[in-house]
Amino acid sequence: MQVDKITFSYNQNKVIKEITMSVDKGDFVGVIGPNASGKSTLIKNLARTLQPIKGVVYLSNQLLNKYSAQELAKKMAVVPQNTNIDFSFNVYDIIMMGRTPYQKRWSKLKQSDRKIVKQVMELTDTYKLKDKIINQLSGGEKQRVIIARALAQQPEILILDEPTASLDINYQAEIYDILEYLNLKLGLTIITVSHNLNLTAQYCQKIFLINSGQIYAEGTAVEVLTAKNIAQVYQAEVQVKKNKLTQKPIITLLPQNKLVDNVNAKSKDFKIHVIAGGGTAVDMLQQLSSLNYNLSAGVLNSGDADWQIAVELGIEVVTADPFAAIKAEEVIAHKKLINQSDLIILTEVPFGYGNLANLTILQDFPTKNKIFLAGQNIKKRDYVKGKAESIWNKLIDGDNLRLITDQSQVLKEIKKFERLKMER
Amino acid sequence: MQRNKNIYFVYLMIIIILLLLFFTALFIGSSYINPLKIVQYLLFNKQLPKANLIILTEIRLPRILLAIMVGAGLALAGTVFQGVIANPMVDPYIVGISAGAGTGVMLALFLGIPLVFSHLNLLPIFAFAGALLTVFIVYQLALVGNKLPVLTFLLSGVALSFILNSIMSFLMVLRTENLQQLVFWLMGSLAASSWSEVKMILPYFMLASLLIFYYGKDLNLILLGEENAAHLGLEVEKSKLIFLTAASLLTASVVSVSGSIGFIGLVVPHIARLMIGPDHRKLLPLSALLGAAFLLFADTIARTLMAPLELPVGIITALAGGPYFIYLLRKKSKNIW
Repeated sequence: MQVDKITFSYNQNKVIKEITMSVDKGDFVGVIGPNASGKSTLIKNLARTLQPIKGVVYLSNQLLNKYSAQELAKKMAVVPQNTNIDFSFNVYDIIMMGRTPYQKRWSKLKQSDRKIVKQVMELTDTYKLKDKIINQLSGGEKQRVIIARALAQQPEILILDEPTASLDINYQAEIYDILEYLNLKLGLTIITVSHNLNLTAQYCQKIFLINSGQIYAEGTAVEVLTAKNIAQVYQAEVQVKKNKLTQKPIITLLPQNKLVDNVNAKSKDFKIHVIAGGGTAVDMLQQLSSLNYNLSAGVLNSGDADWQIAVELGIEVVTADPFAAIKAEEVIAHKKLINQSDLIILTEVPFGYGNLANLTILQDFPTKNKIFLAGQNIKKRDYVKGKAESIWNKLIDGDNLRLITDQSQVLKEIKKFERLKMER
Repeated sequence: MQRNKNIYFVYLMIIIILLLLFFTALFIGSSYINPLKIVQYLLFNKQLPKANLIILTEIRLPRILLAIMVGAGLALAGTVFQGVIANPMVDPYIVGISAGAGTGVMLALFLGIPLVFSHLNLLPIFAFAGALLTVFIVYQLALVGNKLPVLTFLLSGVALSFILNSIMSFLMVLRTENLQQLVFWLMGSLAASSWSEVKMILPYFMLASLLIFYYGKDLNLILLGEENAAHLGLEVEKSKLIFLTAASLLTASVVSVSGSIGFIGLVVPHIARLMIGPDHRKLLPLSALLGAAFLLFADTIARTLMAPLELPVGIITALAGGPYFIYLLRKKSKNIW
C-alpha cells in the first residue's frame, strides 16, 4: 500500500497534511499519536471511509478509488472502532456476513463459505460462541467475533482502529496475540491505530508517530518511541525502559507533579546536586526531574542504579569507572558541578574507600546549603573504620544544613531553601 | 436445522391464517350472503343472485385485496425504515408521508375541487400527490452533497411533518363543512375501496416490494452500521437510496387509499422480528404476510362489529395490537430488537 501526499480536511480544517507513507506486504504497522493528531482520520483515508481532498492511495499498485466496494472488500478488511451491534444476530451469522463480497444476494451458502467461516472461528477461538447472540458477549469476545468476520473476507490487509479500546488488559494481549499470529503465520498485512504505546511497541514492526496531521517519526519501536519524541508530541514526561526479553521499549508515564505545583514547565533555575550511589537516589531523581529542577549528580560509578537513572533522565553526572575508586580528576569535575549548585543533597549511601571522596569533598563547601538524609545511622554505613563517621559528625555541625530522617520530607525542605534563595 | 424447521412452520402457519381470514372476510359482511352458496359458486361455478355477486366481486373482494396490500405495504415499509434508520421507534409515517397526503387532500377541499369527479374518487390522487411531494421535499432537505445521512432524513421528515400538520389543521379551521370524509380518511379506513384503488396502487406496490425483497440482504449489513456495511463490500449510499425510495413510495401509495392507519408499520416489524430473528431475507416476507393478515383481520372486524356502521380500522389495529405488543415486550423486555 502506497500513500502519496494525501491531505484531508473537515470544513477547511486540515486534519491530514500531505502524508506520504508506505506499507509493505506482510508488515505489522502501528499508527500512534495523541488525540486529534489525525491518526484515525488517516486510517479512514486508507480504508476509503473518507476520501482525501488531495493526493492518492494505491493498493497493490492500483488506485484505491478504482476498486469497486466488492473488490475492495475482498482485498481489505476493516475493524472499525465502534462495533455496537444492537440486533440479535448470532455470532455465526455475523461472521458469515464477512463472506458477503463473495456471494450473490440470494444465492445459497456454498460449502467453501462454511469451511472458511469455521476456519476463522477456530483461529479466533469463537467457535464455541457460534450460537450466542452478539450483544450478549463480553467486550473481548465481541472484538474477536468482529475480527473473525473481517478474516472471513479473506483479505490481504487488515486495518484495525483502536482494537483494544475499552478492553481489559488480558483481552488486550489476547487480541494482539491473534494479530501477531495472523501476521507471522498467514502473512497478513496489518495496520493498527492505537492509543496504547506499549502494545504498539511490543507487537508492531513499523511505527508511524502522527502529530498535527503529519508524520513526526517513523521506524521501529526503538527508533520512534524515545522519551524525547513522546515528550514533544504528547507533552508528557515519560520514562522509556527496555523490555529485557524482547528488547522493545516500555513506556511509563511519570507523575505530573508540576501541574499540581503550578510551576511553569520550563526548567527551574534552582540547581540541586545529588550525591548518591547504590540506588539510594532512584526515586528522588525521578521525582525531582519531573518537577523540573535543574539537577546534577556525582560521583557515580558507571552501571550503578543511580547512574543509570541519571543518564536516562539526562542529568549532568560525573562518572567513575565501574567498581573503581574515585580518581583525582573526577573529584575536580565534581567540585565544579557542586560549585554551580544551590543545594546539595546527600542520600543514605554507604561509604567505603572507593567513594569516601564524595563525603570529604563536602568539607570544601561549608557555606553551601545541604540536606543530609539520615534515616539510617552513619555508623552502620561506615565501612572505612570510623573515618566516614568522623567527617560526617564535623559536617553536621556546620551551618545551612538540615538532617532528615524521613525521605518524604525532602521536598518540603527543598522548597524552604528555594524560597530563601528567591527572597534574596 | 432446528431453526429452519421453525421458520417453515412459522411461514406455513401465517399462510394458513391468511387464507382462513381471506375466506372469512369474503363470507361475512353487513349484508348476509349464505356462505354455503359462496362455496358452491367458487367450487362448482353455481349461479348466485346478481346482487350477491356484485357484493362479492365489486365490494368485498377489492376491499380484501386492498387490506392485504395496505397491511403488507405498511409492515414492509416499517421494517425497512426501522432497519435503515436503525431505530426501533420509527414508523413509515415518520418522514411526513401521511401529513403530506392529508394536506394534499385538505388543500383540494379548501380550493373547492370536488373529491368525486364523474364517479371517480379523486381523494387518493390528491393524497398520493401530496405524499410524493412531501417525500421529494424531505429528500432535498436532507441531501448533503450526494449523500443521504439517515438522521438528517429522519429529522427533516419530522420537521416537515409538524409544519404540514399545522397547515392541515389551519385549513380545517377555516373550512368546516364537508369534512366528514376527510376526518374518516385521516383516522384510517378502507371503507372507500373499489377496484380503481386496487389498480391505482398495484404497480407501486409490486415495484417497491420487489425492490425491497431483492435487496433485502443488504439491510442486514446496514444494521451493522453504515461504516461496517461499506467495509463488507456494500455500496451503502446506493442501497440506502433504493430502500428509502422504495419504502416511501410504498407508504405514499398505501396511505393515499387508506389514510393513516397507525400501528401496523410500527409494531408488525417487531412482532415478526421476535418470531424469526433479524435476518431480513426471512424477516421481510414474514413481516409483509403478518401485516396483511393483521389488517385483514382488523378490517373485517371494523366493518362487521357494528354493522351497518363502519368503524375506522385504525381504532381496531391499535386496540388489538397494542396489548399484544405490550405482552411481547414484557416477555422479552431485555432486547426489543
